[in-house]
Amino acid sequence: MTRFLSLFWKVASVMALAMPLNAWAADSPLAQIRSTTERAIAVLQDPAYQGDAHRQERIAKVREILLPYFDAQEIAKRTLGIYWKDRTDAERQQFTQLFTDLVEKTYSGTLDRYNADVKFFYDQERVDGDYAEVDTHVFDPSQNRAFSISYSLRHTGGKWLIYDIVAENVSLVRNYRNQFSRILSKSSYGDLVQTIQAKLKELSASSSS
Amino acid sequence: MIRRLLMAVVISIIGSEIAARSVHAQMGAAHQDQDEAGAAQSEIADPWEPFNQSMFTFNLKLDEYALKPAATGFSKILPVGARQSLGRFFKNLGIVERFANNLLQGKLVGAGQEVGRFAVNTTIGVVGLFDVADPLFGWKESPEDFGQTLAVYGASSGPYLMLPFYGPSTVRDTVGLAVDSAMNPMNYLLSTVQVIAIRGGLTLGNAINYRSLNLELFEDVDRYSVDLYGAVQDGYLQRRERAIKE
Repeated sequence: MTRFLSLFWKVASVMALAMPLNAWAADSPLAQIRSTTERAIAVLQDPAYQGDAHRQERIAKVREILLPYFDAQEIAKRTLGIYWKDRTDAERQQFTQLFTDLVEKTYSGTLDRYNADVKFFYDQERVDGDYAEVDTHVFDPSQNRAFSISYSLRHTGGKWLIYDIVAENVSLVRNYRNQFSRILSKSSYGDLVQTIQAKLKELSASSSS
Repeated sequence: MIRRLLMAVVISIIGSEIAARSVHAQMGAAHQDQDEAGAAQSEIADPWEPFNQSMFTFNLKLDEYALKPAATGFSKILPVGARQSLGRFFKNLGIVERFANNLLQGKLVGAGQEVGRFAVNTTIGVVGLFDVADPLFGWKESPEDFGQTLAVYGASSGPYLMLPFYGPSTVRDTVGLAVDSAMNPMNYLLSTVQVIAIRGGLTLGNAINYRSLNLELFEDVDRYSVDLYGAVQDGYLQRRERAIKE
């Protein structure tokens, strides 16, 4: 019996040592933001993906890493605000896809600006039941300044998913909501869709130049 | 001088209340929401939108043809570090307004730290070019202005107002700008022409310097937004909300 127990503890301790420390904290929102960001940075720094030739590949790989941690439908819903409830299911799906595309196209330009000198800091997290906020900041030595980025997360389906990003004290969901509401109150949902599609075209044209 | 200031305070509180009530402007009260309440917020009230849009267009053109070229040229002459020091020099000059507004809001620690910062940074920090007060004594900035003071006293913001040159504002914040301006001791020591010339020069210098430190910011906001006017409007109001809370 004791031999079995000692064998058990030996195996257990070997397993514990073999597992990376952050696996124990896998559920913490801050740990998740950190590990996800670091995986994305690894892709951006990977020599196999350097240069203009690999730009599309690079962006696709980063997208693969980041997308699962965003609650795309929740974000789309919040940006439409009071106008969400009147949308049909098909429209909601269409809008969610459209908005996700918009954000990806817009922010893939930011990825181009990344260089190895940029440093990321994960400052603190606040968890309150199923909701959490993670404060981080980014330091850019070329500008000698830091930018604060806070993530708002919600625990859904066993994972922490991002539903808002607050950059320098400006909530992006609120900002887009104001933009979309202004268009929706003056014209129609169809017009909003067209405006976003035009913006997507504009972004594609400028990034391929 | 005190009487004039007090009168200005009272008039501005009454004035912005009247402006707020006559136009049922309701600024969205949503803060960083954890529930569905945020989804129920409608857009920001903008009863003066036609005027604001034309001012916005004017400001965009002014930036494109005057401010940005000047700032770009300036950024090539002076390195980033020097321009950040210059920014600190300009900020240091605003001590009177910051001190007064900290006091008016009952922020005694902030008021004290601002005075301490001014004293130390002007002397050891070489006319404010360097912030030595924070590393030496831990004295932090406490940026308060009269617009925030009015908000703390309960004045509602009034409609969104795009000012030529100054950019996005509200009725309350514009009144705040005017009162802060009146607090500057230069008004009482120099002739009007001298005041306008010096303050104009300082404001212009600060604007060019600030823009030179944020060259890409405008392009970024333009790229990231579907409706630039709405993006700028909401960005300004969110930052003010945050500043008032602190």
